[in-house]
Amino acid sequence: MASLMADQGPPDGIVLTEAQKKSRRQRSIAIALALGVLVVLFFAVTLVKGPAVLVRPM
Amino acid sequence: MTVVDHNAIELPPRISEAEVSDYLALLKPRVMSLVIFTALVGLAIAPGHFHPVLAFTSLLCIAVGAGASGALNMALEGDIDALMSRTANRPIPRGRVTRSEALAFGLILSFFSVMTLGILVNWYAGALLAFTIFFYVVIYTMVLKRWTAQNIVIGGASGALPPVVAWVAATGSISVEPLLLFLIIFFWTPPHFWALALFRSDDYARAGVPMLPVVAGPDATRLQILLYTIVLVVIAVAPWPLGYFDAVYGIASLLLGAGMMVCAVDVYRRRERAESLRATRKMFAFSILYLFALFSTLLIEVVVRAVVPLVW
Repeated sequence: MASLMADQGPPDGIVLTEAQKKSRRQRSIAIALALGVLVVLFFAVTLVKGPAVLVRPM
Repeated sequence: MTVVDHNAIELPPRISEAEVSDYLALLKPRVMSLVIFTALVGLAIAPGHFHPVLAFTSLLCIAVGAGASGALNMALEGDIDALMSRTANRPIPRGRVTRSEALAFGLILSFFSVMTLGILVNWYAGALLAFTIFFYVVIYTMVLKRWTAQNIVIGGASGALPPVVAWVAATGSISVEPLLLFLIIFFWTPPHFWALALFRSDDYARAGVPMLPVVAGPDATRLQILLYTIVLVVIAVAPWPLGYFDAVYGIASLLLGAGMMVCAVDVYRRRERAESLRATRKMFAFSILYLFALFSTLLIEVVVRAVVPLVW
């Protein structure tokens, strides 16, 4: 199996450099944090407004 | 018929190395901080009780909306930013973020900030925030900026709206007080930016942006700075005799207004290159202090009024 893989050479497609992987990970964490903040915000406002959450001026 | 040209050079796909800090820079953090501060004052002077969680949500949405406007502005102005020394270090001219990435980032943030403000606070505020972003991106950036020397006069309305959005978020309606804040920022914008444009006029000329010093010359700009400063000082003091803000604000406004007038007269009188440069830089710096101090007075008054009854 190992020899079979060695015969295949480098993998096809795009190989990310370490810098690209690092920046992508940073961006992914930032997006996750932003979504987390949004969830917490909606939850907190729902608690604050209580049943009135569905009553909004239009 | 050949549909695919096999001889075409295949460029490798671009993999972004943009870091979170590059995206944060797209939000124009310094402009954002001023927006947050003026919106905070709009919230603070609004009558009635506004729950702190809702106040925080409103500020966050206004801040993100302002950041989104900044990102969209940079996406649309990547070409001229590269030509000006003040903006050449922004993420797009440096090649850290592409224009389409900045555009997508700005549009997503605009959508989320407007929808969140509308759903969680009220739709009047959400709609006004949407209008603010539209005005800054479409009216100012896409239409006015490269077309007329009055770009920052009319475009200044978008920078003046955040305290109004905050007031509407807190009260669900509009009143005279937030409109006074709007007018103060609106008439503060031209002297502030023309002072900057005076000592950066080479930059703007190189980029082909028709700022007043480029189109009408420095002398006409100095006169306009003086005239707009007079109007600004009168409008900033007016809420005191009209009874909207009290004497503490009125005295602070008079003192700060006197400082602005001294700077504006200095800019108008000093025409020799080195002296003129010093005067315009001083005007630019003092104008920031002016707005900050004027709005701080209102904020401090609200805090004192809330705290004093608790202490006594």
